[in-house]
Amino acid sequence: MTLLELCEWLYETGPAVLVRESPYGFQILVGVHLLGIVLSVGALMWLDLRLMGLSMTRARVSEMNRSLAPWFLTGFALMFASGLLLFAGFATAAYGNLFFRIKIAVIVFAGLNALYFHFTTGRTRPEWDASPQPPAAVRFAGLSSLVMWTIVILAGRMMSYTMF
Amino acid sequence: MPLLAYEQPFLIDSPSINPMSVFDSLAAWLESTHVAQVVGTSMWVVASLSAVHVVGYALVMGGALVGNLRLLGMIVPSVPVMDVVRPASRGIAWGLVISIVTGVLLVSWKAVAAIGNDIFRIKMLLLLLAALLHFAWQARVARNSGVDGAALKIAGAVGLLLWLGLAVAAAAYILFE
Repeated sequence: MTLLELCEWLYETGPAVLVRESPYGFQILVGVHLLGIVLSVGALMWLDLRLMGLSMTRARVSEMNRSLAPWFLTGFALMFASGLLLFAGFATAAYGNLFFRIKIAVIVFAGLNALYFHFTTGRTRPEWDASPQPPAAVRFAGLSSLVMWTIVILAGRMMSYTMF
Repeated sequence: MPLLAYEQPFLIDSPSINPMSVFDSLAAWLESTHVAQVVGTSMWVVASLSAVHVVGYALVMGGALVGNLRLLGMIVPSVPVMDVVRPASRGIAWGLVISIVTGVLLVSWKAVAAIGNDIFRIKMLLLLLAALLHFAWQARVARNSGVDGAALKIAGAVGLLLWLGLAVAAAAYILFE
């Protein structure tokens, strides 16, 4: 099964039809999707800025992470659930959209960046947890996350103008 | 013989006594500008402005979220309130600059219709209230070290609710305008 065939199948599933045909389903999902991205990126950016040594440098990185994680993880959950349904509803149009492809590629890289940080760079955290200016590799991880999520927002918004 | 000033009939719709007319004429002027015509004829310009508008909006909401959650005592409790509220306010301020510049341009080519739209009016009213309250009251409460925890919590809760209201109104405007 090719990716396009998968999209065509998804487009015909029950939830996808509901997204397209229920009176306010689409609007509600887009609203939740926007709230989700604001909650996730809005909270995550402060952890990224702390990793970069640019903001709230008196706080320990571990405390920032512990405090902010429930907020950005809730935001991500809302965003992924609503995004998946929206995608199902318009899967074939999204498949051919350049901005959708950019957005998905960058989300994958942002996820890989977070995983890499978690399993390698982040392992040395006790050494720089309280440091106002973490090592270059840590600052770079924060910067990459910030740049990538900004691109995701930009591409996501461009997508909604070019897809229909 | 012409009527004297005090003999003129009192007109409800008279431009001089209708406060909305100031906004109406401002909107009409905005729509007539060259910039508005450029924006209104290019989907790519509208899409790009809208994309940057949402980045500014995320900055505003990110600042509002951490600032108010710290006032409520729900995040980073060991960090002094001002060490969170100061950068959060800076995030809100930068976000507002980006969102307002792109927002004025985005609305420029359909300003008269937007001014007449109830959701747009609610969105602008909430934006004004939330921003005024943040910079005039909440940031001041946070700065005052003598203030007790209850005042901080009330400020944080009110702020969070207002910004959330703005987010809902903003989503509603995109979808139902």
